[in-house]
Amino acid sequence: MGTNDEAGGQNRAGDEPEEASTSGDGETTVTEEGSELERSIGLTGGLSIGIGTMIGAGIFVFPGLAAGDAGPAAAASFAIGAVIALLVALPASELATAMPKSGGGYYYISRALGTLPGAVVGISIWLGLVFATAFYLVSFGSYAAALLSEAGVDVAGLPIVGTLALLFGVVLTVVNLVGTENAAKLQNYVVGLLLTILVVFLSYGGLDVLGVFGSESTPEQFLPFGVMPVFTTAALVFTSYLGFAQVATVAGDIKDPGRNLPLAMVGSVLTVAVLYVATIFVATSAFGSGRLATFGETAMVEVARALVGDAGAMAILLGGLLATVSSANASVLSTSRAVFAVSKDALLPTIASRVNLQYGTPHIALSMAGGPVLVLVAFGRVEVLAEVASFLHLVMYGLMCVALIAMRRDEPEWYDPDFQVPAHRAVAGTGAVASFGLIAFMQRESQIIGVAIMIAAAGWYKYYAGDVRLKGAL
Amino acid sequence: MADERSETPMNTDSRTIREPPRLLIPIEVLEGESISASLVEFLAPAEVVLLGYHDLPEQTPTEQASMQYEEKARTAIDDIADSFRGAGGNVETRIAFTHDRDQTVDRVAAEESVTGLLLPNPVGEIEEVIVPIRGAIDVDRLADLVATLLEDGSRRVTLWGLAEEGDEFDAEAAVEYTRNTLSERGLPDDQVSTEVSVAESPVWDIIERSSEFDVIVMGEGGPGLLTSLFGDPSERIAEGAVAPVLVVRNR
Repeated sequence: MGTNDEAGGQNRAGDEPEEASTSGDGETTVTEEGSELERSIGLTGGLSIGIGTMIGAGIFVFPGLAAGDAGPAAAASFAIGAVIALLVALPASELATAMPKSGGGYYYISRALGTLPGAVVGISIWLGLVFATAFYLVSFGSYAAALLSEAGVDVAGLPIVGTLALLFGVVLTVVNLVGTENAAKLQNYVVGLLLTILVVFLSYGGLDVLGVFGSESTPEQFLPFGVMPVFTTAALVFTSYLGFAQVATVAGDIKDPGRNLPLAMVGSVLTVAVLYVATIFVATSAFGSGRLATFGETAMVEVARALVGDAGAMAILLGGLLATVSSANASVLSTSRAVFAVSKDALLPTIASRVNLQYGTPHIALSMAGGPVLVLVAFGRVEVLAEVASFLHLVMYGLMCVALIAMRRDEPEWYDPDFQVPAHRAVAGTGAVASFGLIAFMQRESQIIGVAIMIAAAGWYKYYAGDVRLKGAL
Repeated sequence: MADERSETPMNTDSRTIREPPRLLIPIEVLEGESISASLVEFLAPAEVVLLGYHDLPEQTPTEQASMQYEEKARTAIDDIADSFRGAGGNVETRIAFTHDRDQTVDRVAAEESVTGLLLPNPVGEIEEVIVPIRGAIDVDRLADLVATLLEDGSRRVTLWGLAEEGDEFDAEAAVEYTRNTLSERGLPDDQVSTEVSVAESPVWDIIERSSEFDVIVMGEGGPGLLTSLFGDPSERIAEGAVAPVLVVRNR
């Protein structure tokens, strides 16, 4: 296999994959015509994309839901998620340093495994990111509603969460369509502020529940519901680890990718994993998982109120707003890049990669991110949104691990990663099995939606771009 | 290209240039930015690197923009390069798509080891050049540049020393040293005039007087609190002034 190393074939509209073969160093990529493409995101920026995308969900949305399902053992669910994320982040890092291009997972899979898996992943990751964005927006709505009621506005009986989420979804889409200049820098500060709030809060809370400041809280049974819920909860909360692969979708913009991509991906997973586990520990110790579950998405606000008082509650509310905004925004941006990568390869109409003349933004790709998000926000069921997003990402993660094994076996001439996974068969093999395995623990409804999306993607590929060849093409 | 070099001022003129000046001209090419004919003619004696750049919003991958705009950018920058060649200039071109204009300009300036760079502004006929001197500046590079650009003898340069009150900077000595260096480079004394003044805010004083002159040549200015708050003085001056600014880079 792999004798045909040229991209080729035509889709229904008669377009061929764009061959933008490039070379370059740590600071620029140089196109065939000799134009320079500046790499402008450093390690801090990369970490901030990864952490900024992930932290919104794990800390500010899931503690209540997860503790309700698994008890204090929800901390173990987050730890399982972290191990799987790391097992995928390592192979993803190697692939990303060998192919530092926009598109991330889709790109590696289409080049290593062929066009059909590539197309299925490319299209379903677009929709997977749409589900994730909708999930972040609904969570934003919960926090905004909580802030309103904190401020004394009476919102009881109104569908305020959905309305706020929709409104903000529209604002976010429009802002991105018009184009931003310094939002990425702002994101760095937001993530820095968030981490500060969390570290202070968790250190204080941790010492408090250990009995340093007051009476030690009564330890609850660690596994009140048995072992099985630990795994189903891990499947649910895996959405909190979806951010690290978003770093790979902007790989084309990362400076010194050989060093910064692996550091940003692995570093952001480790950072958020520690914070998640600590958060669950503090939250379940403060309240007991039964009461925690009744608080729902904004459970952390009540935890903060119990531990630090109203100031703490306000800090966490503010943190939750910032975190869900930064997650939603980072996902919209990754979605548009994912759409660009797929349409460049002629698997979607090439019009999707056009840049708007007035604002200089990829308006069609951005609309393909923002539009469906609004529909899903109206649908509004947080747990299903989160699980479908995880489902579609996990398929990609599993296939990325397979792609790594295939690449190492075929070793095409151009395959020269700066970062190499040690014991790659064991790591990537376990990563693939774990990723696919986690899917089995999801709710039936999420599994059906996920499979339906993948079948639809495969059908679209057969109908629209059955002749397109991508394997081995760089 | 190699034979065009024999036309550089060193050999056709009595100037004794140490290091032929090399200028970076960044042009936001897809915004329709261009360089006026009089400025082309003024700058042509130096070696010129034309950098056509396109500053993109964060939403747009550089690769995506390059696929759509590369040809257009290349055509536009080649047109400008042709006008330099028409004026007898030695010119190279580069195209860059970026999210960070300053990073790209700094990188290309370092890669091409240029003497200075142009911050464009509209300009008519060029007769009067002003060199505000506000502190340490690479006088050798400055002198090479000014002596080369003023080779045809019809233009005049004013060396203007600006000291701030209570400043240790000896503006008078700096101006005198610069005048001597220009003289060593072979620039006739009658093309040079000097003045020194005490300024409260050099940047504002320079902007205010810029309408009396056609081109400003100045140093980069070092790092400092004001620089990190408001940007490089040279960039602030280019924003406010009516004349183009040539910034001499520190080595």
